[in-house]
Amino acid sequence: MKPTMSRRTALAGSAAALATGLAACAPPNPGEVNAQATIPAADGRVTVSYWAWLKDLHKVAEVFNQTQDRITVETTWIPGGNNGGYAKILSAVAAGGGPDIAQVELRSVPEFALAGALVDVTRYDFASIADRFDPGALTQAQVGDSTWALPQDTGPMATFYNREVLEGELGLTVPSTWEDFRETCGAVQEAGKQMITLDPFDGSHPVGWAMQSGAVWFRPEGDGWIVDMTDDASMRVAEFWDGILADKLIGTGYGSFTTPWYAAASEGSVLASISGSWSDALIETVPGGEGKWAVAPMPVWSGDDPGYASGAHGGSSAAILANSQHPVEALEFLTWMCTDPAGIDAMIEFSGIGWSPAADYIGAPRQEPSEFFSGQNYNEEVIVPMAEGQNLEWTWAPLMQRAMAIIGDGMTAAVNGEVPLVDMFADAQTEIVEIMRGIGLNAEEAR
Amino acid sequence: MSTTPDTPRTAGRSKARSDERSGSRAAGRSPATTIIVTAVLAIVAIYFLIPVYWVVVNATKTTEDLFGTSGFWFGSSFELVDNIRAVLSANGGIFPRWALNSLVYSGIGSVLATYFAVAGGYALAKYRFPGKQFVYALVLGGVLVPGTATALPLFFLFSSVGLTNTYWSVLIPSLVSPFGLFLAAIYAGAAIPDEMLEAGRIDGIGELALFHRIALPQLVPAIVTIVLFQFVGIWNNYFLPLVMLADENLYPITLGLDNWRAQTDRLPEFYQLTVGGALLSVIPLAILILVLQRFWRGGLTEGSVKG
Amino acid sequence: MRSKTAPWLLLAPFMVLFLGTVIVPIIMAIGYSFTRVERSGLLGEEGLTSVFAGFENYAAALANHNFIASIGRMVLFGVVQVTVMIVAATILALLLESAAARWPGFFRATYFMPYGIPGVIATILWSFLYIPGLSPIVDVLGLVGINIDFLAPEVVLWSIANIVTWTYTGYNMLIIIAQLKSIPGDLYEAARIDGAGSFRIVKDIQLPMIRPALVLTIIFSIIGTLQLFAEPRLMQTMSSGITSEYTPNMSAYAYAFQYNEIGMAAAQAVIIAVSAFTLSAIALGISQWTERRR
Repeated sequence: MKPTMSRRTALAGSAAALATGLAACAPPNPGEVNAQATIPAADGRVTVSYWAWLKDLHKVAEVFNQTQDRITVETTWIPGGNNGGYAKILSAVAAGGGPDIAQVELRSVPEFALAGALVDVTRYDFASIADRFDPGALTQAQVGDSTWALPQDTGPMATFYNREVLEGELGLTVPSTWEDFRETCGAVQEAGKQMITLDPFDGSHPVGWAMQSGAVWFRPEGDGWIVDMTDDASMRVAEFWDGILADKLIGTGYGSFTTPWYAAASEGSVLASISGSWSDALIETVPGGEGKWAVAPMPVWSGDDPGYASGAHGGSSAAILANSQHPVEALEFLTWMCTDPAGIDAMIEFSGIGWSPAADYIGAPRQEPSEFFSGQNYNEEVIVPMAEGQNLEWTWAPLMQRAMAIIGDGMTAAVNGEVPLVDMFADAQTEIVEIMRGIGLNAEEAR
Repeated sequence: MSTTPDTPRTAGRSKARSDERSGSRAAGRSPATTIIVTAVLAIVAIYFLIPVYWVVVNATKTTEDLFGTSGFWFGSSFELVDNIRAVLSANGGIFPRWALNSLVYSGIGSVLATYFAVAGGYALAKYRFPGKQFVYALVLGGVLVPGTATALPLFFLFSSVGLTNTYWSVLIPSLVSPFGLFLAAIYAGAAIPDEMLEAGRIDGIGELALFHRIALPQLVPAIVTIVLFQFVGIWNNYFLPLVMLADENLYPITLGLDNWRAQTDRLPEFYQLTVGGALLSVIPLAILILVLQRFWRGGLTEGSVKG
Repeated sequence: MRSKTAPWLLLAPFMVLFLGTVIVPIIMAIGYSFTRVERSGLLGEEGLTSVFAGFENYAAALANHNFIASIGRMVLFGVVQVTVMIVAATILALLLESAAARWPGFFRATYFMPYGIPGVIATILWSFLYIPGLSPIVDVLGLVGINIDFLAPEVVLWSIANIVTWTYTGYNMLIIIAQLKSIPGDLYEAARIDGAGSFRIVKDIQLPMIRPALVLTIIFSIIGTLQLFAEPRLMQTMSSGITSEYTPNMSAYAYAFQYNEIGMAAAQAVIIAVSAFTLSAIALGISQWTERRR
């Protein structure tokens, strides 16, 4: 066999094959489930399948299965979101299968809707039960007039801090405004400690700060998107953190709840974490932290435009997938799980969820003072106002995975002193518009 | 490339030669050199054995000891049997099922792929027909394209006919071994004399029977090599099942163990399952490799040239 | 040679499967890479159309700094890891063939054994040796005052390189041993009559004779590097340094299954394939060139 000869033939062969094949090939469209007729409720018994990475979710389903005999919910564990769970859900749906319900992080809901993987629950009379949900949770699962998933838990941001060291040892008070926060960071550093540490790769913090400040980075308008990351609300966040980073007032080597963070927190050299309400369960595992920690509101902006009380940090939803044959029953189960006190309590007890998505029920175990957190009844006193003070204008865009990576990369560059956040936000805005156009959407930068 | 076609014929001779060489050259070595060289090789061997040693030792521990005691030595209690039992019974005995799936994919896949590849390779080597060069070129071109490039369209192709998330979606692509086709063609060209086939034709044997009765027995060494390569190739595959399969019951061992490992973040007891599962999947393969080592040698020269 | 149908009959099963699972998907991938999707409505819920995009996807892929960075990362990885692996495989092969060591069969089998362990399982095994708190290696190094985090963003690439080296060194070693065994015995005789020592024999006879095998193993290892996927993907959950677009293959996978950009995914896959193609052509060219020079 003579390679030179073969290569020429190979070229000729592939060229011929190409010419014939090219025209016929276009990527397949996802199913247009939301244009088809709705599926009525089933007559007999129904089994609803549910993929999620929540721990022990089958016990929650079991509670529901006991309450009635029409619907049986079966759960299957999948790897968390971007660790393989999403790819698994999306490829199953693309192949015409998949479960009735899947767990999707709130910020990823629009990406799933874009992939044609979700049922718009407004087509199943969601409006009649919408008021059972906490608006701060529900708006995160909505884009325009559509509701693409039911929120399952959320993470209103608050300040979790080591009261014994901050107040007792250093004689400082927990900062109530961002200006205070800056001063506190400096004072804590003079004592050889850090107020907080951040993992710059983690883009979720800047997003939470911007939400709290009143920014709306992705605004649906007509049938297109306006991307605005350079408004006043965003710029004050960028300028503020540029200052913090320039003066190196916080630690940037590792994020909260990493192994080194736990070590530092347990010896009292890192004093706080400004993060979602689910941080409580993690902080309870700080060795020797019992009775020393406390919870305070997220620092706010002072001045004419205070923005909001808090931002959103994490949280996930339960979405009804496009190939579900039992959307009515799935919705019935999810309504129970996400708004009925029995469902909320079961999710708290078995799955350790974040903040309750229900409008007026935070869960029985969360209405009592906590021994770990200095005997404080922090859920009712602190987190409830944080959950009520959310930025309801905020909409997640269908590219959050990449947007978070861009922000994370930008934070890293800012920490290294390469590009300040004020420029990074502007660059990110341009890049995000390009990506949105790349996936075939109408998008424009705000002017 | 030019060295390959005559490999089958000279393999025996060169082996004999090398053995004789080794013997005569070893005689001149000083004991000091032997000790130093052996020591160096032993240290390297430790490197290759460490992960396997670790998994053997740690599969005998409780989850507590896994984190609490030194990874290089056994823990306070010997829990190997309990751990293995836990691995075999977890999730309603999913692990044996994964092992069986891996065997099905690799076993059926490698045998059929070898049969198809040998038949095609034999045809390319022993017949002259229009389009032969084109077939060669097409296969060579196809070999060089990475699996990722084809996996996504293949996924859409299979999903349009409802094959995704079935045994077929992993099995069908595993039935193709272009490397086997080349190896078989080269080997058949050298090992099957034209006169033998002509004699068969004169005796009135049909063309297909000629292949099955006269050619196949001559090709046994190549067949063994192709089966082994294809078996290990399918057994090790991760990307294809990852893309194609959503149902845990269809997973091969690789995907299944990865699924367990992914749960360790949340549920530490999965560490022990993963370690035990890794032990169970490493040991048979290691034994297989060691026992069949001599079969690999023949095919490897060809492997190096053909990739 | 007689029958016209016989060769095609024998080829048929292979060719049908090959066309169906390799050639047709390749053509489809090329087709996808020239299309773009346009969506109406905020999330495309009002329908979407595929339009011809020309080389738009290719231009965007080559302007995508994450994708370019992933290729650069793999080139760096390939240059270092492949060099280390091939040098190690050559030295081990020469030592084993020198007949100076005891138990060569045991060593050869031990070195080759990792080849039979799937990349996924090799990664799981090694990751246990990387995770602080679980890894005895980290503990031991810590005792002698070396604090190393194998999963730190700037280190993890080399932790992956170690897994790949561990898996494939023995395999490459066997290839080189096979080539060493095919060196005619008279060459050694002649050298020994000339009074050449071990190092002269290695330098003047063995290394030149195994050069073609070395060139090919090197180039094929580089192509393999370009396709790296399972190892970094598994370690993604353990190291913040590994992004979804860490290697070219991971990038194509992310665009296809996570980012909803099938055209871009296809363009990236085609770029990976063309690079593999080009490297292979270079491999063949170099091996023919060295062959001719001899």
